[in-house]
Amino acid sequence: MSEAHLTMGAHAAPPMEERPFAIPSKKLAMWLFLMADVMTFASCVVAYAFTRNATPNWPRPFHSVTNVGVMTLIMLTSGLTMLMALRAAKMADKARAFRWMMITAAGGVLFTVLHIRDWMGMISQGVGLLQNPWGPAAFGSGFYAITGFSLLHISVGTIALIAVAIRYQGGRYNADDIEVVSIFWQFVGLVWLFIVPVVYLMNVAR
Amino acid sequence: MTTAEGNGIKKYVAVYLALLVLTALQFIIGYQNIEGSALVVRMLTFAVIETVLVVLFFMNLGSEKPVFIKFIVFFTLFVLLTLNYGWTDSFRLLLFRLTGFQPS
Repeated sequence: MSEAHLTMGAHAAPPMEERPFAIPSKKLAMWLFLMADVMTFASCVVAYAFTRNATPNWPRPFHSVTNVGVMTLIMLTSGLTMLMALRAAKMADKARAFRWMMITAAGGVLFTVLHIRDWMGMISQGVGLLQNPWGPAAFGSGFYAITGFSLLHISVGTIALIAVAIRYQGGRYNADDIEVVSIFWQFVGLVWLFIVPVVYLMNVAR
Repeated sequence: MTTAEGNGIKKYVAVYLALLVLTALQFIIGYQNIEGSALVVRMLTFAVIETVLVVLFFMNLGSEKPVFIKFIVFFTLFVLLTLNYGWTDSFRLLLFRLTGFQPS
């Protein structure tokens, strides 16, 4: 090796580090987004729990949680149907993947309808952002903030599911894209599993 | 359906059924006459188990490289734990409201 080569080698940039996580960029981006989203959801839940703990006469207005139980069942089942869609997509079975994704989206629509029904029930009882018939106004604002943020995620997730399914069917997206939307959908379902005990089950009327 | 495919679906269905059972137990606990920290601990214990199942199997984090799993778990847990540093103030407010104490 010549002296010139040795000199260049000493000053050349080091070789790039190999990709440590070895996952597709879209999936990494989704995981990073979810880490940020965890912070917003956790802030909401901790703020709600903080206020609830510091308020002696916090209301327990939920006489029946049947509607919430059905919503939870739908959310868990849609998580399973989403996995079926992902498996079908990875086996390049487009028709089956599309069908399972639309079933999952239907679950999202049904969940949204039941969620709005739940809100209408609360509104008809006089629960607003700044008022409720049972005492501390913070109950209403906390309830609508947490459940509303979750509803926003589920609505957006449902739209994303339909959009990705249509583009996958049309050949513009592949199984990796379905995996990305699947991770998001499982995450919103997971968040709901925290909202149910904190907001509803700890406030069942006795 | 291949054997591998069938095993994969069985695993997902098993996790789904486990999630259903855990959620049902949460609903049962919600209707029992349990109050305060005992209620919180029980509810959150079930929620944490559900989280592990969903993240590992439904979000497929368990099949990623160990370094990625450590990255996600460490930073997320760090944020979640540090968010809880203000609880003492919550109990202080509760005490003030219960006793009618007005700090000067």
